[in-house]
Amino acid sequence: MKPAETIERFNRNLRIQHFILMISMIMLSLTGLALKFHDTWLGRLLMAIEGGFGMRGIIHRTFALILIGLGVYHFYYILFRKEGHEEFLRIVPRGKDVRDFVQYLRFSILGKGEPPKAGKYDFRQKFQYWGVVAGFWVMVITGFVLWFESAAMAVLPKWFIDVTLVFHGYEGLLIFLVLFLYHLYNVHLNPDHFPMSRVWLDGKISLEQLKKEHPLEYEELFSGAPSSEEEREGGHRAQ
Amino acid sequence: MRNKCCKWTVYLITAGAMALAGVVYGQERNAATAQLQWDRCLICHGKPGLKKVLPNGRIISLYVDRDQLARSVHSKRRCEECHTDITTIPHKGEIKKVDCRHCHYKGSPMGVPDTEKYLEYEESVHGRAVKEGNPKAAICQDCHGAHDVLPPTDPASHVFKLHVPQTCGRCHLKEYSDYSKGVHGKQLHEGNMDMPSCVDCHGEHRIYRPTDEKSTVYATHVPETCSKCHAAKQIVGKYGLSPERVETYKESFHGIATEFGEKRAANCASCHGYHAILPSSDPESPIYVTNIPKTCGKCHPNANLNYARGSIHVNPKSKESGVVYYVSTFFRYFTTLVILGLIIHILLDIYRRIRLRLEKEKS
Repeated sequence: MKPAETIERFNRNLRIQHFILMISMIMLSLTGLALKFHDTWLGRLLMAIEGGFGMRGIIHRTFALILIGLGVYHFYYILFRKEGHEEFLRIVPRGKDVRDFVQYLRFSILGKGEPPKAGKYDFRQKFQYWGVVAGFWVMVITGFVLWFESAAMAVLPKWFIDVTLVFHGYEGLLIFLVLFLYHLYNVHLNPDHFPMSRVWLDGKISLEQLKKEHPLEYEELFSGAPSSEEEREGGHRAQ
Repeated sequence: MRNKCCKWTVYLITAGAMALAGVVYGQERNAATAQLQWDRCLICHGKPGLKKVLPNGRIISLYVDRDQLARSVHSKRRCEECHTDITTIPHKGEIKKVDCRHCHYKGSPMGVPDTEKYLEYEESVHGRAVKEGNPKAAICQDCHGAHDVLPPTDPASHVFKLHVPQTCGRCHLKEYSDYSKGVHGKQLHEGNMDMPSCVDCHGEHRIYRPTDEKSTVYATHVPETCSKCHAAKQIVGKYGLSPERVETYKESFHGIATEFGEKRAANCASCHGYHAILPSSDPESPIYVTNIPKTCGKCHPNANLNYARGSIHVNPKSKESGVVYYVSTFFRYFTTLVILGLIIHILLDIYRRIRLRLEKEKS
């Protein structure tokens, strides 16, 4: 089988952003879970690996700052960089995503109709992206309240801090589960990608896969469907 | 041959019997004669007015109450068995304090309680201070008494539970006064044996400074020490205490930090105080509502009344926790639902793939 033709799906900038996000998510999860499951063997093991209670906190906050830094950069990237802004416009949720979801359910459960046709980002990928965005804000805000609890309590009552702690703990657990259950299924265990989708490493996707998973994007790129010149540039060919 | 065997057996039995009789007789004789022997010493020491001026000016009584001694556990001991440096009358040279370790040591054949306690004492804050030459440090007789040593279970003993605070308080005045003001002290003074005396928290012979990691009242060991009663169903039920106090603390940030050896984190005593522990309804208590800012302020700069709005011991799974309960319940269901949804999604995805493959094979 000759090597499939590929195009670049994620540019280097996005791959680096994804890599930093991945590392900080893993570290924040491990240090967070150590605290949440402190009374189990797993928690105690994680706590020991992380260098004890104090060190665990330092690592957690260090990677929180790295994540925040990434968030600030990402915000700049999608607002003020042309490539970033165009990419962002493709991932903004639209009415089509809801229709796609319904169509997907009809197709999967009832076996009626066609599977929905997706552009560069299908409704699952948009859900994951916006899940990360929402989680980011919840975790950062509650995290800061808990980090600077003495300052926060100048204005907030004790019960509010307790609620914040519950929020931070459960939201963190939720993000962890979604990432490690759903996201890892999609990019690793999914039979189409097993053992691993290579997009996050070299950013490349085969044309065959592009046609299968993102048919609208494929059409836009190759069958002369009406599209702007920039978008063509954004998905420039390789090999 | 057989005869010889018999002979030896008879010899052995006779010798054994004689030895046993000797021991029994010896002890009997000891008991009977010990108290007669006291007379020689009591000629002088039996007079209530007998006193001595020490080189440092302190006056000590040298009187020995015969009845008291006869009631004590040492009623069968002769004076010089303890006062080993008294060999002549009148006494010559420096007379030392009695060293109980003549008889009381692990494995002693003297019929004393065979425990590790003697060694424990030597390692304790008191034992170490004595070794370092501190003349004020407590030795055995400071707590157990001198001529009136009784078993700790005897209500007249200096170390009987109800008397322990007074005994320790002879040196630890401030602590005794604070303890007596607290709930534990007040009720112990009224004769309530459930209440902790000093040794229930600090240990008996194994007493260390609170800053010593071996201490039961070392910062990170305090929760465990308090939980001996405050997590015990018997005590909690009997006195109507909240059964979740220890558990909720352990689940709090303070509790988790303490569990992993972070001694800067608040333990029970940081907020509730230690010797003078009072209920939150008492205006003197550090956890009385208007005292909360000051108490929390020990660690949290500029603490205000916000620290009193809500409860410190929060169980998110209990309805009494209000908003915290509802938020955490929401999250438990929400997380379960989201995860279920995603699992269903994954299963659907796999199902769709299988169906597609089957259809392909058909056509």
